[in-house]
Amino acid sequence: MIERFMNRIEGARLPALAVAAVAALLGGCAGRDTGANEPWDPIEGANRFVFSINRAVDIIAIRPIAVLYRDWMPPPAQRGLHNVLENLGEPVTAIAEVVQGTPGRAGTTLARFLVNSTIGIAGLFDVASAIGLPKTKEGFGNTIGYYAGVEPENGGFYIVLPMIGPSNARDGVGMAIDASIDPFSIVTFSISNTAGWIYAGARFGATVVDTRSRTLYALDDLERNSVDYYAALRSAYTQQRAEIIRQKRDRTGPRAELERRDKLALVR
Amino acid sequence: MLLLASRRAVLCLAVAALALPARAADGPAAQLIEKAAAEVIELIKTTTGPQREAGIRQVLLNYFDLPYMGRAALATHWEATGAVQRERFLKAVVSAEARAYSERFGQYGGQTLTVASVSTRPNAASVVDSKLTQSNGQPIAIQWEVRDSGQGLRITDVKIEGVSMVMTRRSDFNSYISSHGGKVEPLIDELEARAAR
Repeated sequence: MIERFMNRIEGARLPALAVAAVAALLGGCAGRDTGANEPWDPIEGANRFVFSINRAVDIIAIRPIAVLYRDWMPPPAQRGLHNVLENLGEPVTAIAEVVQGTPGRAGTTLARFLVNSTIGIAGLFDVASAIGLPKTKEGFGNTIGYYAGVEPENGGFYIVLPMIGPSNARDGVGMAIDASIDPFSIVTFSISNTAGWIYAGARFGATVVDTRSRTLYALDDLERNSVDYYAALRSAYTQQRAEIIRQKRDRTGPRAELERRDKLALVR
Repeated sequence: MLLLASRRAVLCLAVAALALPARAADGPAAQLIEKAAAEVIELIKTTTGPQREAGIRQVLLNYFDLPYMGRAALATHWEATGAVQRERFLKAVVSAEARAYSERFGQYGGQTLTVASVSTRPNAASVVDSKLTQSNGQPIAIQWEVRDSGQGLRITDVKIEGVSMVMTRRSDFNSYISSHGGKVEPLIDELEARAAR
């Protein structure tokens, strides 16, 4: 299993190429590169349509489940499930960190994965953090953003994905790469298609409940205090992703971002 | 070992040398945030309901440069807005924010705000980095943009985990305005209707 997994990491050069290609592609939209503009949303009509369906599904099913889960599932169980899901993401994080040129960081992530999968009982407990192996979360959305020579606010066109929600060209492609290189997915699908789909479905379902229960407060707040929820969420999503990628690119912290915003002349 | 220790000492000195002047220069900005946070926490502990909302409104008026924020949120539409409309708009925004904040602080769970560092920018604005520590869950990164536009230091933006309140409002308002014939009037009506609810 581990050996196979290491082979995957060797294979990471291929995604690196893909990332470079995608980065070049996205870099092509550098003309819109001011950040002063609203997020680029050329398919707003279609997006608003998907957004309204997502919202209906959310109101009828996902939100109530998330509320029940938050209020009735014992907190240690919630933490446990969250840890398991985070642990499943570690191999992809490690691969992304190799591609980002931080193999040392990838080593720590691998060590985390080994410790938490064994001593931490399949990831239920985050033992690694307690013994000084801090957690990072990476994917190919961040990696493309890291290499693309554009403002991180520019992630290509904005898109609302069915069931998943806000995304953009950069993060959508990143998510597809993450899914395709996920070792667990590769292993389960190599056993049988049924096993693969059971794994993918169970993980997706659990991720939806976990994520939604964690965003209840923030999204309720955003919805209640906006006059156009769609636009407010589009802005908040774009800003938050940009912040993560900017921190990655620029270790000097918020200063560069502020200088950028000075240049925008917020008030004319 | 000794080498290591001395290296560390040199590093510490270097860091201190970098950090100290920045702190000393931006003392007032950090103090402003600490004072505002202390007032809000006191309000949450001692008041409820309408009394709390009124208290929070007063904190917003005292510590935030609301006209600046309103102008920034309306962006290009500000110029096209008449004086009476501007006043109505700002009043509605203040009411909306006061209500939003008193709802956000619905129950006090022992959160504490610690100011980490202050950085200045060429245009005389300062950014105060802080962390809101909760009893359960991860700390939340909050950045405060502070500037002096004539009436002493005031807060001009709040960024929570990288999401700027002013930028989000601007996107929100902008979209509402463009879907209502490019006019500010419907937005003001909507904000006033919400405030009355």
